[in-house]
Amino acid sequence: MTVPDLTPDQQMQQLRPKEPLAPRVIRWIVGILIVIPFIWATIGLEISPERIWRAPAEIWVLLTGMFPPDFEDSGRIVAKLLESVYIAWIGTMMGAVFSFPLGFMAATNVAPRWIAIPTRGILSAIRAFPELILAVILIVPFGLGPFTGALAIGLHSIGTLGKLSSEVIEGVDGGPIEAIGSAGGTLPLQMRYGIVPQAMPTIVSYWLYRFEINIRASAVLGLVGAGGIGAEIVARLSFRADWPKAGAALLATIAVVLIVDAVSSSIRRRIITGQPSTSLLSKGMTALTGAGRPPSTELEA
Amino acid sequence: MGSIEFTNTSVTYPGGLVALKDVSLSIDEGEFVVVVGLSGAGKSTMLRAINGLVPVSGSVMVDGREVVGASQSELRAIRSDVGMIFQTFNLVNRSRVVNNALMGRLSKIPRWRSLLGLWPAEDKEIALQSLERVNIVEKAYVRASDLSGGQQQRVGIARALAQEPQIILADEPVASLDPVTSHMVMRDLQRINRDLGITTLINLHFLDLARQYGRRLIGLNDGRVVFDGDIADVDDEVFRGIYGRAITPDDLLD
Amino acid sequence: MNTFAPETQVRPTEPPRAVRYLTPLAAGIAATGVIGLAGPVGPLWGTLVGLVTFGALFWADITRRILDAGILVAAGIAGMSYFDWVLAGRSGPIDFKLSLIAAVGWVVYGAGTGFVIHRAQPSYRRTIIGAQAVAWGGGATLALFTATAMGVLAPLNARQISNGDIQELTIGLFIVTGLAAAGVGLGANFSFATRLPSLFASGLVLVVSVMAYNEIKFSTAAIATQLGRIGEIADDFWPPVWKWPKSLGQPDTFNIIEPFIETLQIAIIGAVTGNLLALPLAFYASRMTAPSNVAYRIAKGFLNVVRTIPDLVWGIFFATAVGFGNPFAGALAMIMFSLAIMAKLLSETVDAIDIGPLEAGRAAGARHTQVIQYGAFPQVKPNYVAYALYIFELNIRASVVIGFVGAGGIGRLLNERRNFFQWDQVMAIVLVIFVSVLLIEWFSIWARRKLV
Repeated sequence: MTVPDLTPDQQMQQLRPKEPLAPRVIRWIVGILIVIPFIWATIGLEISPERIWRAPAEIWVLLTGMFPPDFEDSGRIVAKLLESVYIAWIGTMMGAVFSFPLGFMAATNVAPRWIAIPTRGILSAIRAFPELILAVILIVPFGLGPFTGALAIGLHSIGTLGKLSSEVIEGVDGGPIEAIGSAGGTLPLQMRYGIVPQAMPTIVSYWLYRFEINIRASAVLGLVGAGGIGAEIVARLSFRADWPKAGAALLATIAVVLIVDAVSSSIRRRIITGQPSTSLLSKGMTALTGAGRPPSTELEA
Repeated sequence: MGSIEFTNTSVTYPGGLVALKDVSLSIDEGEFVVVVGLSGAGKSTMLRAINGLVPVSGSVMVDGREVVGASQSELRAIRSDVGMIFQTFNLVNRSRVVNNALMGRLSKIPRWRSLLGLWPAEDKEIALQSLERVNIVEKAYVRASDLSGGQQQRVGIARALAQEPQIILADEPVASLDPVTSHMVMRDLQRINRDLGITTLINLHFLDLARQYGRRLIGLNDGRVVFDGDIADVDDEVFRGIYGRAITPDDLLD
Repeated sequence: MNTFAPETQVRPTEPPRAVRYLTPLAAGIAATGVIGLAGPVGPLWGTLVGLVTFGALFWADITRRILDAGILVAAGIAGMSYFDWVLAGRSGPIDFKLSLIAAVGWVVYGAGTGFVIHRAQPSYRRTIIGAQAVAWGGGATLALFTATAMGVLAPLNARQISNGDIQELTIGLFIVTGLAAAGVGLGANFSFATRLPSLFASGLVLVVSVMAYNEIKFSTAAIATQLGRIGEIADDFWPPVWKWPKSLGQPDTFNIIEPFIETLQIAIIGAVTGNLLALPLAFYASRMTAPSNVAYRIAKGFLNVVRTIPDLVWGIFFATAVGFGNPFAGALAMIMFSLAIMAKLLSETVDAIDIGPLEAGRAAGARHTQVIQYGAFPQVKPNYVAYALYIFELNIRASVVIGFVGAGGIGRLLNERRNFFQWDQVMAIVLVIFVSVLLIEWFSIWARRKLV
């Protein structure tokens, strides 16, 4: 069998291009922008090789001091942990409830610019305050206690959830909104039937995600007297004799956070994919709640 | 250099699927072999048995080196002499074309050099030369994702060539391409086989392409070799033996 | 030849809707609540009337099977009688074991409802009976235990005791426990019946919210009052005071700069080191690129534990280990903090990469690390850069607060001024933090847009 020879375009020898310079230059600039501040910071904090060399031993001393943990006053730990969970819960609820309308107000495809831009500004201003700082300020009017912690977390959550919600709302497919609008639907109708069904799963999964973060945040608010497990850990770490108790509190915190994360992420996966995940935990939840059962039409009359 | 010898070779996947059953055949240096068969007949598995990408039993000798039971470093040594071309090109889309071609040189340079990205000049030269050989050097500093399908497959070939291989394995190299580019890629492969004497094994789905470019043809059916001989001896009866049915227009490219 | 005749399509029945089940649920709960709270009615009767109301409405609506309703009511009576019997006359604290024993009554009721549902809709598997039993029993145990242990009922009890309604702490306890258990159990019921998990979710959310609301003594009244006093409060904070003496008797100086720079340095070291260390870890923690299953599990487990520990706890931990007030502790804390986030985000991104280039790399005889570096990393590089900037942004915020626990930086100063009740100085520090966080966020957004 004869083989057709090379086509003319293949016979033409191509010229080798020069390697472009720009990527290299950018790489150098970025490298310098990272290395110089890093060195500046290392010198500024007086971090010497000898200091780094000593750290593992010091950490080891603390770890061996904390373990095995002492679960003697686990009742108090459980109570404080529950308080943390409640603070996070209320904070997340506050965040969810208030961020929902704010999310719409900050979305440029729903709200006019003169509303959207200031709303965004407010949201990012709220976000700029870490929860702990908010708690420090809020303690003045609201006093010490978990209520202040919940307010601080709630306020910060409004900022973050509002921003995330508005991004989700801006990302929805414009088709359905247009369809409703062209059928004579008003703006509220467009939002209810055009945007909410599309955006809701993602927004709810952000709420759950925020709850996971808030659990961690609420655990530390105790430091300023705003309730939760954090104060327990600090108090016990200050005395060497109490280190095993600190270890117990730390372990309990880790356990609670892990459980909340696992439950929350399995729900999130289910919301986003619409499919139950295959993990044992979510199977258990499916059995318990009936969530994830395929819809059936055979209903007895 | 570039011979392959299968002796009672079988491939059983972890799920228990036996994809290649007791294959024995040998391929000499510089041969241009086309492998045909239905999808699921074991074509891809047969190719991947040669560079040990699938769990293989029996014996596969590549240039006198045993693939079955080879250690990681022995396997790497064998693989570095065997270039592979894929149906979906398998390029790193975000990397530049020349970096994709350089991936073929990874097994030849010291570890610290690859870690720091300090490529020796001669390796860069080899990568550029292999791009020249498939006429794509113009695009050397373009992102792979910015190329058309045919151009991407040529980069895939250049990556294999950069290995300076003894053997090239092409797994359905034209299945994702249109007829015109398919012919161009097939001609590239043929030319490389002719000019450089690299043993070439190609999986093909289309019978007319196999007839047009192949010299030796191996037919697989359900993991067994049902035909092995000169392409000139292939008639409709042979195809029926391989495919279990008569030829339909779906089996032809043009 | 096509021979089939046009077939008349069967209209499917409309899938169940939440509303249909919501009415009986609401009516049942309302009846329970009203009867329980209205007067000195025994807890058994209060809850029972509610349950019967619910059951009657529920079943009248669906199957009209008197038999099933009978089973349901019988199970309800049996369960509640038992519950009442166990707890009758108790005045002391109720521990977890007792809660479990008392909740057995609810298990019976749960099994009864499960049985009825299974009978009514054979498409449900038998597991529903067990699942229902567990849901009701678990709900009751949890509610009872939490209600007593956490003192949810404190206000309720106080009111009823002052009214002379109760002699011991029982009635309110029963009502809340009954309501909570009914909430959990009915929620489970309805999810089964309607296949609308959102109903169960909203029920659960409601129960937990009420508990949390009580527990942390949330008060909208307090918010309203304090909002009215906003001028007074603002007087404490405004105007901000920028200068104060470093120690007693010294002249006023501007003291914010130095700790602020320290915070910045902590954030830089944390972000750079953490992001670098996260790189190998992220590839180990993804199934796509892990060298072996063992390595994958170890990396994943390590990350899970590191991620659960809040930034401040890292701060306390390292401050205790390497010395209080030492910014090195802060840097270590920020490294762990960045490492955890980056490794998690990146490993999830790696999970979604195209494995083709990895196979190509392996086929070319490359080592595992080379395959990752040249086949996998370029695919996730833009994400890596974006995450790194985001983490730097987070680090600024986090390194501000870890100073509170003795890990150096501006947080330490803030804590110190706060302890002296110098709110106007606190305000100055907060403003510095606020502005710098905003600036860095803008920079990060700008750079992300520029680089990606």
